[in-house]
Amino acid sequence: MKLMTTTALVGALCAGTVQAAELRMSWWGGDDRHTATQAGLEACGAKHGHEISAEFTGFDGYLEKLTTQMAGGTEADIVQVNWPWMPLFSRDGTGFADLATLEAIDLSQWSEAQLAATTEGGHVHALPVSTSGRVFFFNTTTLAEAGIEPPTTWEGFFSAAATLRETMGEEYRLFNAVKETAQLLVTLHAVQQTGKDLVDPETNRVAWSVEDLADAIAFYGRMVETGAVMSMEDEAAEGNVNLYEKQAWSQGRIAGSYEWDSTYNKYADPLAEGQVIDSFPPLMTEGAVTEGIYRKPSMVFAVSRNADDPEAAAQILNCLLNEPEGIDALGDTRGVPASAVAAERLIEAGTLNPEIVKASNIVAEAEGPTVSPFNEHPEIRSDFLATMEEYAYGLLDAQDAAEIIIDNTNKVLAKFD
Amino acid sequence: MTRSRGLGLAYLSPYIIGLMVFTMVPFLASLWLSFTDYDLMSAPVWTGLDNYIELFTEDRTFRRSLWVTLVYVFVTVPLKLGFALFIAYILNYKLRFINLFRTAFYVPSILGGSIAIAVLWRYIFATEGLVNMFLAQFGVEPINWFGDPTNALFTITLLRCWQFGSAMVIFLAALQSIDKSLYEAAAIDGASKLHSFVFITIPLITPVIFFNLIMQMVQAFQEFNGPYIITQGGPLKSTYLLPLYIYDEAFRRFDMGYASAIAWVLFVIIMILTLVAFWSSKKWVFYAGDKRS
Repeated sequence: MKLMTTTALVGALCAGTVQAAELRMSWWGGDDRHTATQAGLEACGAKHGHEISAEFTGFDGYLEKLTTQMAGGTEADIVQVNWPWMPLFSRDGTGFADLATLEAIDLSQWSEAQLAATTEGGHVHALPVSTSGRVFFFNTTTLAEAGIEPPTTWEGFFSAAATLRETMGEEYRLFNAVKETAQLLVTLHAVQQTGKDLVDPETNRVAWSVEDLADAIAFYGRMVETGAVMSMEDEAAEGNVNLYEKQAWSQGRIAGSYEWDSTYNKYADPLAEGQVIDSFPPLMTEGAVTEGIYRKPSMVFAVSRNADDPEAAAQILNCLLNEPEGIDALGDTRGVPASAVAAERLIEAGTLNPEIVKASNIVAEAEGPTVSPFNEHPEIRSDFLATMEEYAYGLLDAQDAAEIIIDNTNKVLAKFD
Repeated sequence: MTRSRGLGLAYLSPYIIGLMVFTMVPFLASLWLSFTDYDLMSAPVWTGLDNYIELFTEDRTFRRSLWVTLVYVFVTVPLKLGFALFIAYILNYKLRFINLFRTAFYVPSILGGSIAIAVLWRYIFATEGLVNMFLAQFGVEPINWFGDPTNALFTITLLRCWQFGSAMVIFLAALQSIDKSLYEAAAIDGASKLHSFVFITIPLITPVIFFNLIMQMVQAFQEFNGPYIITQGGPLKSTYLLPLYIYDEAFRRFDMGYASAIAWVLFVIIMILTLVAFWSSKKWVFYAGDKRS
């Protein structure tokens, strides 16, 4: 009896306290994000008395690594996850720890709508770090040299592309459109014309008709034919290289792209001295029914359900997102923070990069249908891109490509009925 | 005796445990998984032969990938072996700085499997890369090495061939073990260098050719780094070797059961080709003391 009383007393004393823990955190990003996050972990670790190992990499390969870790139950205690991957890892909300049950996290810093996007089956299985969307970046230096104003409409875009090449030379391209950027440009056109996202949430099937998608694919074809963007064959000649690693980008010979607002620094940093990029809202076309902004919770942070000490992980997570040490260290390296206290602090301090704020405002103010996470489902994306490639190499026409993409996408969606 | 046996087993145990845990268990597990539907996140569900039936009856990507893999192996292995033997033959001469040359030719095979070299390869063969710059000196228009489906596979093949060092070293050791008196006798009889090479050198190193053939073939079937880093299997899946397909199915499409089935088909193909090589070796491989010789 005495032993039981002592045990209960010790247990009661320990309840609500967190021992010093050794934790791991994994994320993807560029150099600025890596540096900032490591600084944040150091500051938050020192504040709460935990040691945190950093596991970071570029975006390529991160999904595969995380998948392997999730399958083996060896994922880091705090994990950065792309929001569209949440149905893969946590279809019913139990793939990660329920953050609503962890005391250290102040959920009041997120709106109900924000939390709804990361809640499944009543479990808050992640926290939005920021809201992200695709914006148009144009190299205003190159455009100014060519005497062109940044376009605001698609017709202006094609006219600017022609003028750029006439003025600056055939090697100049107004825009970049490879891999998922090409896919999302096709998506943008289809959304602008139909007002619908790829997936109809009511039926869980593709919302566009074959004609809608064929028209959007042909629109991409027009971008290539007019020389506004490089053909996939010419793009492939460089091998598998990211846009921001290309000399043509850093020297302004590719004068624009359609990228995440939060990646402004990633694309601006490699530019040669004197080159400047600026953000612009979606270009509009005649007959468009919406701007079609592609907006979603960007990356989210989750706590592993296998964490030895989830409360300690929650402390660090809360520190990174809601406490001054973490907020100051992370800054805007993941875009404008979704946490109210973090956004307020950074705005007051004036530490947000005005270019990122501008890009973020474009995303916030533009309108468009709700984006389904299935737009970025790995299988759907892979099939979409493979079919687009066949179209680009002339093996399929736009109509056949559209039919194949819709069939393949519906097959994947059917698995989630 | 019992004590020394126990001690021996104790010394061997790290290897045996490693082999069991890291090779045999995954090997057998993948066989079982190949008969299941397993998405990594939930428990595998037994589906019998479904994965294999789909693989052979419906999967166009598998057929394409298998064809690309076979072309890659049947082009790469003979090219690499031929090149390794050629260089080993030259390095077998007593030249000035011969050790320096031997080291220089071996270095690529140390570096060859690395990601850094694959990245370097990407830059060398890019539109404005070294190769096109060199060709431009002779008025040749830039070649699209990675964007053209035919050229892309050739470029990946060259990367593998460039890593000829380990095969070369084995050839060199075999060449050095050939009795010089055989060449002297042949020369006295009026044999040319080519005759000596074809009728003395080649027959005497057939065991080493056979060994290199098997090793290089198995490695070529498992090629992953080069196409993954340089082309991601494109364009139009022209460099989409089976290991890339296995990887994509397992870790991008979350279909570990299907990926395991592809892996087992690949294993069986390697096994069959190895058995064919062993069977044919009776006709063309000559060992010391072999009565046929």
